[in-house]
Amino acid sequence: MEEYISPSYGKRKKLMQAAAFICFRIFSYTIALTLFFILGFIIVKGIGVINWDFLTKMPENGMTEGGIMPAIIGTLYLMAGSAVFSFPIGVISGIYMSEYAPNGRIVKFIRTMTNNLAGIPSIVFGLFGMAFFVNRLGFGDSILAGSLTLGLLALPVVIRTTEEAFRDIPKSFREGSLALGATKFQTVMKVLLPIAMPRVMTGLILSLGRVSGETAPILFTCAAYFLPKLPSGIFDQCMALPYHLYVVATSGTDIEAQMPIAYGTAFVLIMIVLIMNIAANTIRKHYEKKTSLK
Amino acid sequence: MKRLADRTSKWVFTVSGFTTSAVIILIIAFLFTESAGLFSTPIVEEGYVLAVNSSNNVKDLNTEQIKNIFDGEITSWDEVGGKDMEIEIFRLEDLEKIYTVEQLGAEYEHAGEKIAEQIYANPGIIAFIPESMIEGIPDIGFIDDRNIRIKDVLFGREWFPTATPSPIFGILPLILGTLWVSFFAILIALPFGISIAIYMAEVARPEVRKVLKPVIELLNGIPSVIYGFFGLTVIVPFLQNTFGLPVGESGLAGSIVLAIMALPTIITVAEDAMSSCPRSLREASLALGAGHWQTIYKVVIPSSISGITSGVVLGIGRAVGETMAVLMVTGNAAVIPHSILEPLRTIPATIAAELGEAPAGGAHYQALFLLGVILFFITLIINACVETVSSRHKTQA
Amino acid sequence: MNKTTVSAFLLSIAAFITPYISHAQRIKGSDTVLPLTQELSEVFAEDRPDAGITVTGGGSGVGISALMEGTTDIAMTSRRIKFSEKMKLVQAGHEVREYIVAYDALAVIVHPSNPVSNLTREQLEGIFRGKITNWKEVGGNDAKIVVYSRETSSGTYEFFKESVLQNRNYMAGVLSMPATGAVIQSVSQTKGAIGYVGLAYLNPAVKAVGISYTADGACALPSTETAMDGSYPVVRPLYYYYDKKMEKIVAPYINFIESPEGQSIILESGFIPKRSEK
Repeated sequence: MEEYISPSYGKRKKLMQAAAFICFRIFSYTIALTLFFILGFIIVKGIGVINWDFLTKMPENGMTEGGIMPAIIGTLYLMAGSAVFSFPIGVISGIYMSEYAPNGRIVKFIRTMTNNLAGIPSIVFGLFGMAFFVNRLGFGDSILAGSLTLGLLALPVVIRTTEEAFRDIPKSFREGSLALGATKFQTVMKVLLPIAMPRVMTGLILSLGRVSGETAPILFTCAAYFLPKLPSGIFDQCMALPYHLYVVATSGTDIEAQMPIAYGTAFVLIMIVLIMNIAANTIRKHYEKKTSLK
Repeated sequence: MKRLADRTSKWVFTVSGFTTSAVIILIIAFLFTESAGLFSTPIVEEGYVLAVNSSNNVKDLNTEQIKNIFDGEITSWDEVGGKDMEIEIFRLEDLEKIYTVEQLGAEYEHAGEKIAEQIYANPGIIAFIPESMIEGIPDIGFIDDRNIRIKDVLFGREWFPTATPSPIFGILPLILGTLWVSFFAILIALPFGISIAIYMAEVARPEVRKVLKPVIELLNGIPSVIYGFFGLTVIVPFLQNTFGLPVGESGLAGSIVLAIMALPTIITVAEDAMSSCPRSLREASLALGAGHWQTIYKVVIPSSISGITSGVVLGIGRAVGETMAVLMVTGNAAVIPHSILEPLRTIPATIAAELGEAPAGGAHYQALFLLGVILFFITLIINACVETVSSRHKTQA
Repeated sequence: MNKTTVSAFLLSIAAFITPYISHAQRIKGSDTVLPLTQELSEVFAEDRPDAGITVTGGGSGVGISALMEGTTDIAMTSRRIKFSEKMKLVQAGHEVREYIVAYDALAVIVHPSNPVSNLTREQLEGIFRGKITNWKEVGGNDAKIVVYSRETSSGTYEFFKESVLQNRNYMAGVLSMPATGAVIQSVSQTKGAIGYVGLAYLNPAVKAVGISYTADGACALPSTETAMDGSYPVVRPLYYYYDKKMEKIVAPYINFIESPEGQSIILESGFIPKRSEK
């Protein structure tokens, strides 16, 4: 204790602090600049390509002209499809972990498994999707197989946010509800779920943002290079923005002519991610305001 | 009725709670079933045999020897334990050079006899031909067709999945390539990631933080294809010019791209952990006369170390499993890397690039699923590390 | 909140179950044949609004296995069907028909600043097998040769190996690129680079070299003309495979390819029409 207040130490302390903070600041700004550079690179090169035709037309002339409408639609289908699978299962699992699991060991086990699932590389999901959904269950390359594969990928995020959202609700809410004679199920559905919902939604939206940009899982389960028509059912293949970008950027016949389309596609993809993030943040803020009023 | 709903719901919740576990078991099961056949696959391409003259005493060749023979590196039988005579390579296509279409028959029905003719005539011949063509023809020697060995796959130093007659599936260069590139990625990302996390959680003014946080979240959402393309058009030429490298696609380019990609994960998780460090701890430290920096590294960092570690490990996980970006910038040369400035090849990139063209169910297809199994276990080990690190820390505290 | 979630669900489910399944033609396979097939099918579908054609890539192997499983009507490949694949198709009860759509010439490309403009087959073999590692050995500057290739299982890789390397293996250290565009990109920014791409992909950012297969060393630069008159040696056929039972269904499309209109699309796309073969 004595040492801490000795003046020489204090000076050194201050110097250390100043040095450390300057270092952090420089690091942060370098990275922020790098990140802005990447973003700027794509936005500047991509924004000029964007117009109504680009967003609403089919690709034409060997993908050197026209728009990317089917890829946008395909990505939306895949996002919706993966949400249909990951959302109910993810939310229910999250609730189980927070409210129902009988003891800490089971929760810990499930949490470990969920973390493991979250850590599995997307290409392994792609392999699994190909072996299981496409071949074993016979879905073929289809929106269904792609959505299921992406749904598995999104599952851990949904589970985690749901569990956290429920865990953060004070015990008094549950006790109050149970004291009034409600069953556990009623408590969960009528008291806890409405409170947790905004945060659960945030998790879902963020997971959808991730789903929209994944290429590796749909490479062998769903994605099509080119389709002249929009998919007409869940057993059809579809085009998707990230795969379209990969294809246009690396394997067209006329790379010069396709570059603007690649940048435009990248721009749209980033915009989707951006919109998802803004939506999640808005909900989060809304919720924060609400609770602070209480 | 209420009771019933309560019970059913409990049951549903329980079942659903174990979905992730079930999914993991399914993934393991399927990766294994799809890759299991590899070690019971013969080394020579399915449906084919290596036929030799019956006077030839060489009956056993390994994949390496077969490759070198057909590459023209081994030219005499005595190099593989036979007599001193020249090796003559014969492939199915050579038939058309020796015989006319009339001689062979429209559906190749006489091909078998003609192949046999060649084999009888040349004592030094090694013929790579379909088994069905020479069925029932006497006096032909064969090279024993043994199965692919686990040792040759796990410790093999060469990856030639489409070599004929006998593909080589040595995955050592791919594993080392993956680990090498991820290791350097984390080496680059670590100081940046931790500093930024500290800066954002502890030092930065709220306005700066408000700007930084969404930007970093957004960067997390940028698809890897975009990073890959950025890497190929910006980072690769930059490295080439700066270091005067003969080739820009290298492990380093991959590491830099991966470092940028892993950063948001590291920062977000570590920053969350530090922000959730209780206010009381901080206040106590400050009240005891500790400086801001002292509080950070003596109180905040230790108390949130498990969060920081899991952030770093998740970052490693992301680097190890990253596919598209790495595929585009590392050059994908399947050699054991000696320096980070050389091209290398990772497991995910190999799967993504080759699965599309590999005949389903064949040895190559199975080998790619085996790579999937290995990748899966690498990430499993990484996750186990996080669990132990964070739980050990908890018990200490 | 609950109501909006529920309605969002219903909407997305409704979007999924748009209940009709079309029986359009499906073509699947090699990414090399894909741009050409796509052009052809676009024009083909213009006149026939009811004949929807779905074109998907994934690779030659994917195309063939899809044919086996019946998930595609035509498999397009940039290599001839493998014996083992053919056997499997026969076992699965398919009798396949082969159709050569067009020919594709492979161009060997180097960095534009490279003074080397002609190479013989033997030199190329030496370079791609790692026996020749410096440009000065083939009359260029003193610089290391950086060899770019396609990934091991692509049809282009196989054909180059068959034709130029005479079935011998590439050296282990070749850089393999996931797609042709990436090969061009890399060769255009690496001074000592050499690579190969389909003729249709050639652009001014890279320099094509003349190739000679004969002893007299007469080199020809790759172009549709030299490929057609046979002076350029590295030319390969591109295939469609389909089940014999489907013959009637695919016939209109194949007839369209054979028509003058189809042939001119092939030429415009940078491929070599079958008609003009040698």
